[in-house]
Amino acid sequence: MAPFVIFGGTLGVLMSNIVGGDGRTHINSRLMRESLQNKDVLSNTDSERDLQIFPDVSLVSIGGQSIFDRGKDAILPLVAELVEIKKDRSVKMVIGVGGGTRVRHTISIAADLGLPVGGMAQLVGAMEELNAILLNTLLAPHGSMPMQRDHFWDLPLYFDAGITPIAISVPPYHFWEPPPAEGHLPTHGSDFGLFQLADVLGMKQAIFVKDEDGLYDKDPKKHKSAKKFGRITLADLMTQFPQDNILDQELFHAWKNAKNLKRIVIVNGLVPGQLTRALKGEDVGTVIVKEAARG
Amino acid sequence: MADRRTIESSLSGSSMTGSRETFEYKPTAVMPDVKVVKIGGQSILDRGRAAVFPILDEIVAARKLGIQVVLLAGGGTRARHIYSLASELEMPTGVVATLGKYIPMQNARMLQMLLAKHGGIYMLPDDFEKLPLYLQMGCIPVMSGMPPFGYWEKREEGSRIPPPRTDAGVFLSAEFLGSPRAIFIKDEDGLYTDDPKKNPAATHIARISSKELIERNLPDVVLERVVVEYLPRAQWCKELQVVNGLKPGQVLAALKGEDVGTIIRA
Repeated sequence: MAPFVIFGGTLGVLMSNIVGGDGRTHINSRLMRESLQNKDVLSNTDSERDLQIFPDVSLVSIGGQSIFDRGKDAILPLVAELVEIKKDRSVKMVIGVGGGTRVRHTISIAADLGLPVGGMAQLVGAMEELNAILLNTLLAPHGSMPMQRDHFWDLPLYFDAGITPIAISVPPYHFWEPPPAEGHLPTHGSDFGLFQLADVLGMKQAIFVKDEDGLYDKDPKKHKSAKKFGRITLADLMTQFPQDNILDQELFHAWKNAKNLKRIVIVNGLVPGQLTRALKGEDVGTVIVKEAARG
Repeated sequence: MADRRTIESSLSGSSMTGSRETFEYKPTAVMPDVKVVKIGGQSILDRGRAAVFPILDEIVAARKLGIQVVLLAGGGTRARHIYSLASELEMPTGVVATLGKYIPMQNARMLQMLLAKHGGIYMLPDDFEKLPLYLQMGCIPVMSGMPPFGYWEKREEGSRIPPPRTDAGVFLSAEFLGSPRAIFIKDEDGLYTDDPKKNPAATHIARISSKELIERNLPDVVLERVVVEYLPRAQWCKELQVVNGLKPGQVLAALKGEDVGTIIRA
């Protein structure tokens, strides 16, 4: 019998993988008929590593409150530094931005109105996007472009052409933001969104550009005695987790189970040169690593 | 250096991690009368016409009684097939979750085609803002149950499969809309002490609290575990109802608000 060709395969081959007999029509696979709630079934899908898609790329996150809300004096020197960095075509980076004080204002109004957490999450992305437009407007003459939500497969093209993509930082949890374990606010913000981008794509590192020299045990703006962390492992940091953290807690929760990302750096964007050094892989600011610390 | 230009608000200067709120939150329900209903993938859609048509008849009958229904579709065996291939290739969970979006979308489109003559309308995940129009027109909106997290899905310890899938999407939709009970149409009478398809000694559980369910640590459950974890934190959707779509009358009874099947309470 001549095979009936569809999509380059044959119906004969396709049908041989179809399994019935219990009223449902299955396709033969390791997970066939299985309940995906079963713990043994789930553990069979795991392994020690995740595929790393872009291991030579760094993610750069530029703070909303810490940088953009300070205006021109903070933004322009940082843009000048990015333009210098871009001259070395071997440095591959994706940039994301925070939303800052407008995000907090949006949420405070939305919370007062009693909007559901998914409604708040749907609203905030617009405020980050404003900072992304500001940054792209300044950086475009030197080669930058806003990247559509998940158009990651364009990235090789961007890097070949010397174009720096500016990614959407707020993750698409939107109306489906899960109810938080504590309080009433969305937990999946821009820090988490950019962390997740770096992890799922298997990037080299994520660099968070803020207005302090790194991560401190206490808020250095309120406590003169605050001590900065230098190089620290994630495990060590979790045993002395700062109350006033410069990064969202959800980022740390997600990082604990993540397999790809090994390095997060926090640098001061108000001090020229720190971002450049971090992109070259130097230990500057606070370096959090997911492995045993050196020395 | 220029100071931060901060807009004064109850959250200005806050780290927004949610642990130290200083404001009062009085929740507002968006569309509390809507029944958010899931049609299972493996349990219903993979059975084809024999299972699907009688269920849709009951949903159309409910709509004619003025009950507002939003249908969300599950994945099923094709989702298991792609999850299996992706796991072997050691794909990150975010990639697995992205692959998992496509099958519930196909299933939702199939349901829309079947319901079109009764007002079935296909909806994208971000189209909740159009629901008032669809429901006032007497439509039956149909959408994928998969949450839109995709590449931003977090990894769970010991598994590559995204923990929130189409059951979670149904709960989260009901919670956003302010609907008090999410309804799941499956091929079992509800929750059992083990998978009744594999263990004939498994017994039915008609009523249970989420706390009790978590404490019993059952080897297998009819709904995604993450939904049972979300439930106690909900502002609105405090009940999950699982009904057997293969038994005539169960779906319509559930849509009328009757306590059939299993009810899991917050």
